[in-house]
Amino acid sequence: MIVLIRYKAILWLFPLMGLWAACKDDFPVDEDGLLITERAECYVSNFELLGTDRQTVRTKNPVIDTVAQTVNVEVFYGTDLRNLYPQFSLVTDAKLDPKITGMVDFSDLSKPKVYTVVSGNRKVRKPYTVYITVQQPTN
Amino acid sequence: MKKKFISAGIRAGWLLLFPVCLGFLSCEEKEYAIPAAKTQLQNDVIKRSIGPNIAGLDIEFAYAMALASSRGKLVSAKVEASLAGSEGTYLEHRSFYTDGGGQDVGVEIGAPSATSGNATTVTFSKDTSAATLRYFYRIPESAKGQSVSFKFSATSSTGETVSYDMGPYQIAKMDLRLDITVKDSVAAYISLEDMKVYTVEEARANPGKIDLVYLYRNVPGITFNHSLISPGAGSPYLAGVGVPAGAGRISKIRKEWALRDRHLARAQFGVYIDDLDFEKLDFSGMPGEALNMRAESGAWVETADGAYRAYIYFNSVNNNGKQAVVSIKRYKP
Repeated sequence: MIVLIRYKAILWLFPLMGLWAACKDDFPVDEDGLLITERAECYVSNFELLGTDRQTVRTKNPVIDTVAQTVNVEVFYGTDLRNLYPQFSLVTDAKLDPKITGMVDFSDLSKPKVYTVVSGNRKVRKPYTVYITVQQPTN
Repeated sequence: MKKKFISAGIRAGWLLLFPVCLGFLSCEEKEYAIPAAKTQLQNDVIKRSIGPNIAGLDIEFAYAMALASSRGKLVSAKVEASLAGSEGTYLEHRSFYTDGGGQDVGVEIGAPSATSGNATTVTFSKDTSAATLRYFYRIPESAKGQSVSFKFSATSSTGETVSYDMGPYQIAKMDLRLDITVKDSVAAYISLEDMKVYTVEEARANPGKIDLVYLYRNVPGITFNHSLISPGAGSPYLAGVGVPAGAGRISKIRKEWALRDRHLARAQFGVYIDDLDFEKLDFSGMPGEALNMRAESGAWVETADGAYRAYIYFNSVNNNGKQAVVSIKRYKP
């Protein structure tokens, strides 16, 4: 009988241990509920620009300068710059500010959009400027 | 203590016996008897066509009826629609079966159907006890936005009558126009109001009805190709185009890709644009032109006055001929 009670006590211990482990503050999350890691890398690895038909409007690969923190992209002639959907590929654990929630108006080419990349440890912030040029006839 | 353990063991033994007994009972063999076939007149219907019901297209059904050959034969079959179908509505006078090669083979069972008002009837002249007749209801223009129901019925030589109700089916408000050839500078002026493409002369006579101009341009350095431009868009897009005086509408255009509506494309994709799609479209901030349209691409369009919304699908494009074949679904909100 005493042995049985001991076993029962051990069984009760398991969930308590689990609860204790779950409450430990080893993996903090940020205000978006995303994991804050130890990574300090902070850059854009790729960039895409889609039209209303969810097809790319780029004429060629974007030029991403991680030192100057710029993205240069040329779009097709006649592209509707008021309704573009940008997509950023970032280094692991990084996030973008502001978030992209839908179509973005890029029509004012004199005021290029700026998106800030925030590192995984949320301590490094690098603003990237997106410069758009429109394809022009050659003659 | 020992006694308690023994009595508990006995109880557990009894409990274990129950499922064993149940298993034994369920294994008992029951003699199977082939169910007796019904001999009286019976019928059944399936709807064969799918997608939205559009005026001018058919709603197709297969109507099956049978009774035991020893009992009698079929005399007539009738379909009554709640709204009279337009010309082209008929009930097949052939009963189809599928042969070993997958082909549908028709066997005549009487004279072609006769339609009177809402009712279409076939009278059997062959000694037939089982048949499946197809019914094609050509949706009339007047049925747009309404719903239609059908009553299928059959009679046999025994005097029996059976019937089967189908529907109601909602008829779409959309219009459909297939395979319109647009050609740069020749037949390039599209009117969604009339669902037509106009020549230059016709466009001059109806400048207020022109919603879009079709252009083909092969300009070095840019991707222009097959394009739809609002006549009022001005801009560099219409440079050199003789837009008729008075044609100043600026439609709103939203490019689309990979939306191959089955009615328009007639391809294998089971995708249909319905009234609801037009109702939910948001054209705010959309431009007045769509450049570089490719085969199997499309464009949602709203006319300048908001009177019509349409989806223009590019069935094919021909760069050398500077032309394209388009099909249109149009909706009037």
